[in-house]
Amino acid sequence: MLQQIIALILIIFFILRLIWQKQTNKINSREFALWFIFWFLVAGAVISIKKIDKLVADLGFSSSGINVLLYFSVLLLFYLIFKMRLKIEKINKNISKINSHIAIQNAQEKKQSQN
Amino acid sequence: MNQNLKNKKIFCIIPAFNEEKKIAQTIKSVIPFVNKVIIINDASIDQTKNILDQLQKKFPLQITILNHLTNCGQGASLATGNTYAQSQNADIIIHFDADGQHRTCDIAPLIKPILNDEADIVFGSRFQELKSKMPFFKKNIIMPIARCINKIFFDINLTDPQSGMRAMNKKALTEIKINQSGMAHCTEIIYASHKKNLKIKEVPIQVIYHEFGQGLKGGLRIIKDFILGSLVR
Repeated sequence: MLQQIIALILIIFFILRLIWQKQTNKINSREFALWFIFWFLVAGAVISIKKIDKLVADLGFSSSGINVLLYFSVLLLFYLIFKMRLKIEKINKNISKINSHIAIQNAQEKKQSQN
Repeated sequence: MNQNLKNKKIFCIIPAFNEEKKIAQTIKSVIPFVNKVIIINDASIDQTKNILDQLQKKFPLQITILNHLTNCGQGASLATGNTYAQSQNADIIIHFDADGQHRTCDIAPLIKPILNDEADIVFGSRFQELKSKMPFFKKNIIMPIARCINKIFFDINLTDPQSGMRAMNKKALTEIKINQSGMAHCTEIIYASHKKNLKIKEVPIQVIYHEFGQGLKGGLRIIKDFILGSLVR
């Protein structure tokens, strides 16, 4: 119970911080909505942790609900990092293409001006 | 250049990143063997650009410099060089390192199979008759692992799995598109040349090592880059 209260206080702190960030225009509406829904769902999971424990047990997991949530969070983080690496790779490739295009264009313009 | 070579436009592509110590010497040594030297300055932060500008004033017809605005990697530099060579209607292109580790006397044997129509792409091999003084760890650990990876995953049987010196004809130049920005381009080119059913040949070359080059960490980075790069088009 105490752990749930601490977790909820932390979530309230993050939601208040989120509202402050939105009011000071440090994040846009889309980011605000995304993080608000995230913290709202986390708060829901914390409040109904007993129900999640039961659900997890019914599904055949030996761990408690919070542990299973933690495992899924780690998996989700790995997936997000992988997606981010792919996105960075794509951006790098695009930058290389632009660089290549500019380098060739400059060389051709230089050649033409010399002729 | 002999008569057979005079009918062909031979371009040498040299990617350069912070190569102020060796670049001038490398370019001057290559000029007599090819029609054009294309140097890709990959946003060097040392004196490389100034040296290249001076060299171009001295050899305006033999040298073309392509400047990347940001550092993109050796693979991206070679891709830029290949695209430019293609736009200039090159018949044969040679990939050559800027740090002076490749020997100009290996250029003629490298392009010979292309001139004789025996190959579309020719890889220089450090593991044939001419033996390079390769660092022990690289020769006995990294290279055998790279050869095994090439054999198991790509069914490629080349003696040198990571050769940086290679020559291509027009067909190979058109068929092979370098997508790997970093050092994984070696594997990518070998793989693409097999996949496209190009005529492949290896010729012995000797490499003069000034430094170790790719270590085990570099090798693992190549594998990681190759996998990531293959997932992004």
